[in-house]
Amino acid sequence: MRRNGLAALLFSTLFVVFMIAPLVVVIGVSFTSTGYLEFPPSEPGLRWFRAILTNPDFIDAALLSLELGVTSATIATVLAVPAALAIGREKFPGRDVLQSLFLSPLMVPTVVLGVGFLRFLTLISMNGTLIGLALCHAVVIFPFILRLSLAAIVGLDQSVEKAAVSLGASSLTVFRRITLPLIMPGVCGGWILAFITSFDELTVSIFIINPSTTTLPVKLFNHITQTTDPLVTSVSTAMILFTVCIMLFVNWLYGLDRLLIGEGSR
Amino acid sequence: MALLELKNLTKRFGDVLAVSDFTLSVEQGEFVSLLGPSGCGKTTTLQMIAGFETPTSGAIILNGRNLEDVPARKRGLGIVFQSYALFPHMTVEQNVGFGLEMRGVAPAERAGRVRKVLELVHLDGLANRYPRAMSGGQRQRVAVARALVIEPDLLLLDEPLSNLDAKLREEMQLELRRIQQEAGVTTVLVTHDQSEAMALSDRIAVMQAGELMQVGSPFEIYERPRSSFVSTFLGKTNTLAARLEQVTPEGSLLVCNGVTLKGPPANFLPGPVEVSLRPERVELTDADNAVVSGTVSERVFLGNQWLSKVNTPIGELLMTRRNRGSDEPKPGDTVHLAWSAEHLSILAADRSRLT
Repeated sequence: MRRNGLAALLFSTLFVVFMIAPLVVVIGVSFTSTGYLEFPPSEPGLRWFRAILTNPDFIDAALLSLELGVTSATIATVLAVPAALAIGREKFPGRDVLQSLFLSPLMVPTVVLGVGFLRFLTLISMNGTLIGLALCHAVVIFPFILRLSLAAIVGLDQSVEKAAVSLGASSLTVFRRITLPLIMPGVCGGWILAFITSFDELTVSIFIINPSTTTLPVKLFNHITQTTDPLVTSVSTAMILFTVCIMLFVNWLYGLDRLLIGEGSR
Repeated sequence: MALLELKNLTKRFGDVLAVSDFTLSVEQGEFVSLLGPSGCGKTTTLQMIAGFETPTSGAIILNGRNLEDVPARKRGLGIVFQSYALFPHMTVEQNVGFGLEMRGVAPAERAGRVRKVLELVHLDGLANRYPRAMSGGQRQRVAVARALVIEPDLLLLDEPLSNLDAKLREEMQLELRRIQQEAGVTTVLVTHDQSEAMALSDRIAVMQAGELMQVGSPFEIYERPRSSFVSTFLGKTNTLAARLEQVTPEGSLLVCNGVTLKGPPANFLPGPVEVSLRPERVELTDADNAVVSGTVSERVFLGNQWLSKVNTPIGELLMTRRNRGSDEPKPGDTVHLAWSAEHLSILAADRSRLT
């Protein structure tokens, strides 16, 4: 069934090309054997992928980003699930305000957030620490987990919880045995999305890192400001591959369209 | 002493009076239905008994104990929800065993009791299924089993059959009645479906706009409705506006559109009343014995019976007749109708005139 007109098809095609083209170029360039950026590569090879292994800086930065992503996504999840329960279930004055506040990191420009975080961390003498970085990332990725947890909670039939109560379960037991297992796919989806966001977060991080806490995106950014060798493209290709793998996993676990569009629109 | 007593139960949501001064006693082992259209307060009443809503005033007394300060999870009631509310991530066995687990029943005993209750609802052999792999009727049975296994003093059923298709619903009505009687559990059912209420209940409490209109056995309520709301909500009926002229211990005389009708003895003073006449009580007769005569305007064949509309001097009358395999009067035919005086129900035109 074709419902789209020619113009719409053309637009969609251009849009997809525009999205995909940079990725194709980056991935293409990463397979060159020359010392400069070249597309398409005249002599394909894995030279720059081997170069990653001989650059411990990049590997350290990647490990740090990994650790940061896991820590900040976990912190944000632990905070977002109770918040989502309150917002999704209870009616109290200021509920909408609270929800907007929690989602506001999506709307505030990240540069502004970065400056704010820098000032704040300096004030409490946590500038440049990993935990400070993790807390800032937690703020930035909080909305992702909140939204997905909220969708899962709102989609949950409340009489299921009432049934558990009527059978003698305490509130804590209801949460542990009924609510949490049932919203788990949404919460996990949120965690992974948040992890990915933290993993390639650049703008905020630039403001608040120091040389000992350089994340992978910042490292790449610094590298490209100094040299233009194809090393950045091979690192990028590795990152793209990593992200795609996670996305495939999420899709298998939960369904990507449900995750990104939201439960209600299905 | 009654097992469950609702005393002057009232629930107000802001300006809305959802349940108003509702008083009802339910005896041990009895099956009582709260019947009414949506928004009549029947579900709110059930929620208050369950402990999910707090009454604005009035008392709920179960086994002589006031439930006011007893939280929902300590009331020990079995509840079957409209959506069944099964735990989707647990097997049938885990679903049914959940209440026993919460009560600290040892696993070995738990397994035995779960097996027994699954036999009662005819689901033996499906203990390891997940709810999503079951049909609507089967899920319904799991929900009933889960509520019964804790041996509740009281079983609450919230529109339990409304998600089933018509054929399955009839089957499940008989099943529910059998299960309830075998378990011997006192049951309160909330429903908007009059045939469900009639098929299942010992007594029906008809509600309208938060108020209890009438309580009685299904037969009593059907045969002797006290208001036009009750008479029209349970089954089909002809409601006629009439004037009560004369009341004697032997019977009464009514005038409807200038036609004089004989009625049963009534507890009313002469004046305007409503009269209800069930379509199945209207009979065909000859011109000499007719109460009224009229012309058939419509005729519908329903398989086991014929439903006809007849235009008469007292108004349009519905008439149902058993299909006996012979032909029935066609539209346009003149027919002569009769019924015996005791089949007219005289109803208060408004509630204040009830005696």
